[in-house]
Amino acid sequence: MVSSTVDHMIAVTVFLAATLLFIGLFNQTIQTAVVYQRHRATATKASDLLDSMLLSPGIPVNWGQTDVNLTGFGLQDPEFTQYKISPFSLMRLQSSVGEPLFYNPTGMYYSNVTIEGRNFMLVPYNLTLDYSTVTRLLGINNTYGFQLTLTPIVTVSIQETHASGPLTLSLTASGVGFPLSRATVSYCFLKVKASGGQSSPSYTILFDSITTDETGSATINFADVAAGDSYVFIAYARLSGLIGIGYHERSLDDERYLIPLVGSIEDGLVLIAHSYDVHYFGPPESAVFFNATYVLLTEDFTLREMPLTMEKTKVVYGGGSDQTFENVTIPTHNPGILILTYNSNNGQGVVMMPWGISTLAFPVVFGGDPAKQEWVATDMRQVTVGGIAYQAKIAVWSLEGYQVIG
Amino acid sequence: MMRTIEILIVIIIITGAFIAASFFAVLPWPRQVSPVNLRRLAFTTLQMLDSDYELSRAAFETENYTIWGGLQVALSASLPPNVIYNLTVYEVTGETTQLYTFIDSMSNAESLGATSDASSYMVASSNVTFNVIPEKIGEHGGNGGTLYILNCSDAPGWWITGYTAHSLAQDLYNLLSPYFFNTVMVQNTAQLGQILGNTSLLGETVQNAVVINTCGEAVPIPTAYCTTPYSNDNYAYYNWFIGQRVRLYNWTWASIVGYPFYYVSNIGSFSGQNDWGIYGMKAVYAAGLNSFLRGLNGQGYVTDNIGWITSELTSVPLSADAIYYSNYYGIYPAAYQTATRALPVGITTTYNLAVTSSLFDPVSGYRAGAVYRNDVSGGFLALGLTRTPDIRLTVLGLLSEFKPRLYNSEYSANGTSRIVVLQLGLVGGT
Repeated sequence: MVSSTVDHMIAVTVFLAATLLFIGLFNQTIQTAVVYQRHRATATKASDLLDSMLLSPGIPVNWGQTDVNLTGFGLQDPEFTQYKISPFSLMRLQSSVGEPLFYNPTGMYYSNVTIEGRNFMLVPYNLTLDYSTVTRLLGINNTYGFQLTLTPIVTVSIQETHASGPLTLSLTASGVGFPLSRATVSYCFLKVKASGGQSSPSYTILFDSITTDETGSATINFADVAAGDSYVFIAYARLSGLIGIGYHERSLDDERYLIPLVGSIEDGLVLIAHSYDVHYFGPPESAVFFNATYVLLTEDFTLREMPLTMEKTKVVYGGGSDQTFENVTIPTHNPGILILTYNSNNGQGVVMMPWGISTLAFPVVFGGDPAKQEWVATDMRQVTVGGIAYQAKIAVWSLEGYQVIG
Repeated sequence: MMRTIEILIVIIIITGAFIAASFFAVLPWPRQVSPVNLRRLAFTTLQMLDSDYELSRAAFETENYTIWGGLQVALSASLPPNVIYNLTVYEVTGETTQLYTFIDSMSNAESLGATSDASSYMVASSNVTFNVIPEKIGEHGGNGGTLYILNCSDAPGWWITGYTAHSLAQDLYNLLSPYFFNTVMVQNTAQLGQILGNTSLLGETVQNAVVINTCGEAVPIPTAYCTTPYSNDNYAYYNWFIGQRVRLYNWTWASIVGYPFYYVSNIGSFSGQNDWGIYGMKAVYAAGLNSFLRGLNGQGYVTDNIGWITSELTSVPLSADAIYYSNYYGIYPAAYQTATRALPVGITTTYNLAVTSSLFDPVSGYRAGAVYRNDVSGGFLALGLTRTPDIRLTVLGLLSEFKPRLYNSEYSANGTSRIVVLQLGLVGGT
């Protein structure tokens, strides 16, 4: 009788323990499958989101070239089909990586994409689209988060190997880990002519083309350049439909320079500010005189200059009777580069601003931060932005959580 | 003891069940949870390489090592380092049992591994001529069928600076005649008089026609109409009469530039000039347009007391619809225009008009260019732009109003099309 009772007790105990153990094991398998399905759904969503962004121009279709608010989000160039992206729509995305810049004379914050110190893309917050607005327009607010990154495929790096007599520039064009051999390079060389501290600088501009060697390299010499001259060199490399951009500049006054701020995309208005007015270096400083020109990449992949008209060509720091900033109007919605040559008491220099984000191969990072997410799905497409080859990547994560019991 | 043995047997059975379930419930590789979409990557890579038709060129010049090698470099440079590829070009033959014939291929790996995917892309030879057959306006009922282009040799134009009415008429003929059953050049004001009297010139249908006035702000007037009552109020009555005819015949009247119906012109009937040195025309002023709109609305003639109604808009962009049809029909006027004679949006309620096609969105209560259609019958394309006229806008305005479809012809003829297949694989990782 006793042994029978003990037998029962042992059997029940073992049975209950085994049951609990197997429930746990089966539960784990099921949960793994559920998590897999949720991850799979997120991955599908990533692909769908990327295509819906890249294959729709948004509503209104030309919102990138206007200052209006949009009711449907999309980045496709309205004049084209397929994966051709509007360089102006990308301009209106609030950058996730650049430190916002506050400009006191306008009282506004600016979305900041600044490359290599002197090449600016500063768009006022009231013209940009923020992340939360876009998630609402895409209908994914509170369900999914994303980060969209557009990176130029071709890198054109330019080094100054000899400073003067002649100026020698070494250029290397490469794709994603592979050199762009035998690529045609169209370039623009703009040299600032010194004209004293109290007048606008003039400039000379030269357009030409060369071909890279087997290693994707090329060397260009400019005879009439002294060590004290400022210049900017812009190069477009192209090979079998693959186009990339590089640039290099030399400026002599690193403190007193110009900062271009977008005033209105629709009207092509750009505000030219004194650098001291933006960075508050100290007491009133000398004025900066400038000259502006616009360079376009034409359909035959050559560069062309479009002179701009300006009423005033002087910006001051510290106010007074003069205006704090000046206006320059770009009379076209063809993507190009605004080149500002400047002159102060301490020397000359050049700053640039792309009109349409692709013309200086600026990268775009827009959206949330994927680093803090539990699981992130990614996808990518090859696209062209204003004719320039870019890689569009999206990282998507679920905001609904994956926590399961067990 | 027996119970314990039974339980152990049960445990063995459940363990077996678990092992069996685990064996069948195979979860995919981690890579398959969120795979790189190689098919889309391949497709977008091909599209990018063909963005300026370089891929098409290379696909037809595989024996040209410079171009073919350039494509290989571009392909290697554009794909991520962990992606390997095989690109193959096939000829589309279509005449034999074998639809595709291998031409050439390139690859940067011997095999593409276990995970690969491919996309295909059709390219056409630069020698191919694409043929487009447009639908005829009015083919399926409704408006249109006949296009009248006023090319009156005895009527001078105004605000068509830099052109002659004849050159504009010729351009209009070239651009629009494929879309109409009949295109009739109205060669003089007498012929205009005939069609105003519902008399066909070449056997065409007068009803439901489109009439384009190439004389700009001036309207040709037949000699027979240079008398009362048509001459009342500086010929404003004549313009009212035209409005009435437009309504009666359900015409669509197109004014290509400036202030519509501002002058009437006929070299034989008017000896004076228009204060600007152009002889053979007479100013009707703003009363011409107001009278026309009354006629179009079926109202009786009254001496105009409204006066000037248009306004100046400096820069007006093409509307989204206009951009769409600009792309569809391949007509590309400048996206921004200057409008100095934009009509007020209020005319739609005053004269029972509906805007059926808008080239420009309204700005500050004025519309630079649109097709207005009366609630009962008749339409009016008014382009209140400044001189000189861009005839492409008139064409775009009419095409976006009638929306004839374009039928693209078959272009997969032998030797003119090739298929490029890009297969991508991944290296590294699991």
